Amino acid sequence: MADTRIEPTPERGMTITRGARREGLEGELLTVNFGPQHPSTHGVLRLVVDLDGETIRRVKPVIGYLHTGIEKQMEALRWQQGVVVTDRHDYLSPPINNLAYALAVEKLMGVEAPPRAQGLRVIMSELTRIASHLIWLGTSGIELGAMGIFMYCLRDREKILDLNEEISGFRMHTSYIRPGGVMADATPRFFELLDAFIEQMPANIQQYEDLLTRNPIFMERTLGVGMLSAEDAIRLGATGPMIRGSGLAWDLRRDRPYCGYETYDWDVAVENGCDCYARYLVRIKELKESVRILRQAVDRLPNGPVNVDDRKMLPPPREELETSMEAVIHHFKLFTEGYSPPPGDVYVAVESGRGENGCYIVSDGTHKPRRVKFRSASFVNLQALEHMSLGRMIADFIAIIGTADTVLGDCDR
Amino acid sequence: MSKVMLPDDAVLESGVIAGDEWITVARGRAHDALRALQAQGFESLLFMTCVDHLATPVLEKAAERYELVYQLRDMRRHRELRVRVFVPEDDPTAVSAHDIYAPANWEERETYDMFGITFDGHPDLTRILMPDDWVGHPLRRDYPVGGEPVDFSEDHQIWQTAPPEA
Repeated sequence: MADTRIEPTPERGMTITRGARREGLEGELLTVNFGPQHPSTHGVLRLVVDLDGETIRRVKPVIGYLHTGIEKQMEALRWQQGVVVTDRHDYLSPPINNLAYALAVEKLMGVEAPPRAQGLRVIMSELTRIASHLIWLGTSGIELGAMGIFMYCLRDREKILDLNEEISGFRMHTSYIRPGGVMADATPRFFELLDAFIEQMPANIQQYEDLLTRNPIFMERTLGVGMLSAEDAIRLGATGPMIRGSGLAWDLRRDRPYCGYETYDWDVAVENGCDCYARYLVRIKELKESVRILRQAVDRLPNGPVNVDDRKMLPPPREELETSMEAVIHHFKLFTEGYSPPPGDVYVAVESGRGENGCYIVSDGTHKPRRVKFRSASFVNLQALEHMSLGRMIADFIAIIGTADTVLGDCDR
Repeated sequence: MSKVMLPDDAVLESGVIAGDEWITVARGRAHDALRALQAQGFESLLFMTCVDHLATPVLEKAAERYELVYQLRDMRRHRELRVRVFVPEDDPTAVSAHDIYAPANWEERETYDMFGITFDGHPDLTRILMPDDWVGHPLRRDYPVGGEPVDFSEDHQIWQTAPPEA
C-alpha cells in the first residue's frame, strides 16, 4: 500500500497517516492527531498517537498552544506587580501560584508574613485545592461517562468563587496573596460563608463518593489503568496526586512545610494502587483533609495585622499619609520605583492541586526581577503520559489523561 | 549539613543563599557531576532552566553570560541542591542530562527554545513552547518584550516575521 500521508494543517482537526509500517510490529500503525481542540484533553493539549488497531504504541504530546510568555512579562514588571501575572498560569489555582511567588520574594528579602496572614494563606490555599480538585472530578467524570457529577462539582466550586469574591473582589484571579502578607483582612461575611461551606462539604463529598467510588462502570474504566510504579514516578519527576497514588507519601505541606502547615492535624493522602483509580481516591481523600485543615485554620486564626510592618516593602496606611512626610515619601517611592530585593536567587515550592508548584526567582538588586521561572507540575507530569499509556487501549487513554490532571495554562506558562 | 561528595576539581564554588545550598560545576564536568549526585541520593530533578546575565552579572564571579541551573532533591534526606553551570556567549552548548534525569528532556527543549542553548546528545532538540518556525529566543535579555505586533489576518505576512535575532 502506498504511503498516503496527509500533511497536518490547522484546518484539519484530525490527521490520519495510513501505511506507515514500522519494523518489528505486526499490524499497520495509524498515526492519529488527538487535539488540540479535543474535549477530553483538558484544554489545548495536542497528542500525536501511533495506534496499532486500538492499542497505543507511541504518544508524543505537543504543547505550547497556551504559551503566553508569563516569565518574560514578569521581567518587565516590578516585583509587586508580578503577583497579578502569577494568577494566570495555573488558572485553576491562582492563590497557590500567588503563594509560591510571595514566599519566594519574602525568602529573598528575609521577611516573614505575620501569623494572621499565614492563617489566611492556608485558608485560601485549601479552598483553592478543593476548587481545583472539584473541576478535575467533574470533568474527568464527564469523560468517563458520569455526566451528573459535573453539575454537583460546579455547585460547590461556585461557593468557593463566591468566597474568593468576598475576600478579594475577584472570583478567579484573586491576586490575594502578595509578598509581605495578603491583600486585605477577611470580612465577617467571608467567615459566615466559609463556616456554611465547611459545614456542608463533608456531606457533599459523600455525595460524590456515592456517585463514583463503588460505581462499577467507573471502576472498570480506571482500575488497573495507567499504571505508574513508585520508582517510575520518581524517575519521571511526577509530583502531587500522581506520586501519592503510587504509594509514596510525599507532600510538600508536610515534608517541606510553609505557612505553618506542620502545626495542623491532618494526614497525607496515600494510595497504593498506582492506577487511575488510586489517583481518584487520593484526590477524594485530599478533599476531606482540606476540609479538616480549613476547620482548624478558621478556629485558631490569630488576630493581628495581615501585612508586614515594613514601609520599604508595603505602603503606609491611608491615614498616615495626612500627617507624616515620611509616609508620603515611602508611598511615592513604592509606587514609582518599588522595592529591590538583594541580589541572589531562591527557589520555593508549594503543594498545589496538581503537585509541586515552584517559583525560582533571580534578583540582580534592581526593582524588577532578572528571571522568574515557574516550576509547573503539569509540565513535568505530562512527560509521564507516554509511560502510563503504552500498550493500553485508546479508551483507557482518556482516563489516563484525565487523572494526570494537567492544566495547559500551567504547562505552557 | 554534610558536604556533597564530588571530586575537588569538579566543584568550582559552593555556598548557601537564603537557605538554599548551591554548587558551581565546570561545564565540561557537569554531566559526570550530575550522575555522581544522582548516585548520592539526589534522585529527582525539580527543574532545569537558564539565567541570562547580560550586562550585569548577579553573582560576582558570573563571568559568562548564561547560567544553567539544575535544582535537585533528595527526598529521603529532605535536602535540595542547586547546581550551576556557566555557559559562554560565543559557544552556547552544554551536554544533555536527559539520560540521567528523565524530566530534563522537556526542560532542555524549553531552554533551547527560550535561550538558544543547544544540548549535545539530546534526542529531539526542537522548539517546545514557541511555534517551530519562530525566529529568535524570547527569554534572552536582548529580545524585546513587546516584539510581536497584533496579528490581524490582513497582516499575515508581516506578523509571521519575528523581530530580527539580536
